[in-house]
Amino acid sequence: MSDQTASTSNQHDAEASSGSRRSFLKTTALSALGAMLGMAVPFERNLPAGFLPVALAQDTGLDLMSGKKGLMVLGDRPLNVETPVHLLDDDVTPYERLFVRMNGLVPQTALDQDAEGWVLTIDGEVETPLELTIDDLKSRFENVTRRLVIECGGNGRAFFQPGTSGNQWTFGAVGCPEWTGVRLADVLKAAGVKESAVYTGHYGNDVHLSGDEEKEVISRGVPIEKALQEDAIIAWAMNGEPLSAVHGFPLRLIVPGYPASASQKYLNRIWIRDKEHDGAKMTGDSYRIPAYPVAPGTEVPEEDMVVLTEMPVKSIVTFPETGAEVKAGEAVEVRGHAWCGKGDVASVQYSLDFGQTWQEAELEPAPNRFAWQRWRAKLTLPQHGYYEVWARAVDQDGIGQPPLSPVWNPRGYANNIQHRIALVAVG
Amino acid sequence: MRIIPTIVAATVAALILSTGLAVAETRLDPMAVLAGRPAGSDPLDPMTALRARADLAEVADGNQEFGGLPDGEGAEETYYQCVACHSTEIIKQQRVTDHRWDELWRWMVEAQGMVGPEPDTKTLILTYLKTNFSSER
Repeated sequence: MSDQTASTSNQHDAEASSGSRRSFLKTTALSALGAMLGMAVPFERNLPAGFLPVALAQDTGLDLMSGKKGLMVLGDRPLNVETPVHLLDDDVTPYERLFVRMNGLVPQTALDQDAEGWVLTIDGEVETPLELTIDDLKSRFENVTRRLVIECGGNGRAFFQPGTSGNQWTFGAVGCPEWTGVRLADVLKAAGVKESAVYTGHYGNDVHLSGDEEKEVISRGVPIEKALQEDAIIAWAMNGEPLSAVHGFPLRLIVPGYPASASQKYLNRIWIRDKEHDGAKMTGDSYRIPAYPVAPGTEVPEEDMVVLTEMPVKSIVTFPETGAEVKAGEAVEVRGHAWCGKGDVASVQYSLDFGQTWQEAELEPAPNRFAWQRWRAKLTLPQHGYYEVWARAVDQDGIGQPPLSPVWNPRGYANNIQHRIALVAVG
Repeated sequence: MRIIPTIVAATVAALILSTGLAVAETRLDPMAVLAGRPAGSDPLDPMTALRARADLAEVADGNQEFGGLPDGEGAEETYYQCVACHSTEIIKQQRVTDHRWDELWRWMVEAQGMVGPEPDTKTLILTYLKTNFSSER
């Protein structure tokens, strides 16, 4: 309905200002702006080109980026911010170094850190629909704290050739903070999942970029079998602090192993479905990959696209920073993290000779399932010159990372290309 | 370096029909994307040589009046159409096929509620996007 209204109003404005293409264009954009703010923009024709009211700038969450140290802003509206890989060295990713992936605008409740009256609804294919306050969650279910990797499905998109649409993440749309909450499975069991349950459907209160309050920003889900495993949690805290505005205050899901879009922020409803969920960005080609391997650049019919579930095995080199100088003939530590959408990683290897030979790195066990695992190696560069360190992780099924991008897909998901850094040895 | 998607698509169609293997062998060459070090790639960051395009910085210096979009016919129209919902940063990152731009437009109208302009303006904007943010040229 509101789309139609906006359209009509645009046409009307266009007629009124015919003769000036520039003012027509400005009117088109600003009428949409008015729709976004839910009000008319006074004196909109007098606004200079490129000017956006303060309310807009604030709602993107960009103002909050002063708390993120050294990150790269890929986009300011919606806000998408990547962490340079050498800043991901911490075992537990601190707030300042966790990427931000917004599909819409930050809701006012999150900006205000106002959880008054917040209710999480569990409904659909359950015996007893639940309406839970945050206090209910904290008191009725066992509280758990876990380190869980969260990785954007499009992490690594920048390496697909030809390019694929979306934010051009390299390696930094990943992190492993410590989350506190309750098991999703415990809450679902309390509601009594029916035999007919097939999929979850997640909802939050973030605001669509168009400003249309009726429009879903993103509503994804996971197969009920995944939701009932003990790993996923409904979290209210990250690293011991309440969730921040850009990371989903006051409640969010963390469904480890799956693309982070399944880990709904600003969570207020979990709808148990009797079929694969069809909310915003579940359908079309969003977070989907072809059902069969395709040549780079191929357009794939929509009916041949299937939902991306488990993320592939992956590793990064977090120390030293690429391009670092080291002393030839002296031992130097190289280290990073490894993780896998299926659970624990089996091994990590590294190469100093462009993949000709590989050595085993030391791999620490995960503190809990779906936390990333520290890998490290002591290496000595034999003489001065240019070296590259390539790292590859291998999962429990013997599947490792490819030296170049894995099979191409139209939207550029699940790229687990090996990470390479340069080291310059001096004499 | 360049892959011409229409040819790729045609070749794949031929592959599916199991009639075009000889054609596929001459046209689908995985080594092509690895030929030569892309301009702007940095030896001290080996991953830059493996990116779809290493010259993103060139586009960053576009016309500041239009959110840094490069000058050209349709830049102004593109700016005002797109910033109604999102900033130009996401546009400047794209290197996609013509077909994908058509699909993105359809998706923005049908799924995201974008108010489409007059047909002439739509053509102008899509031509601008396909010219400046392409994996084909």
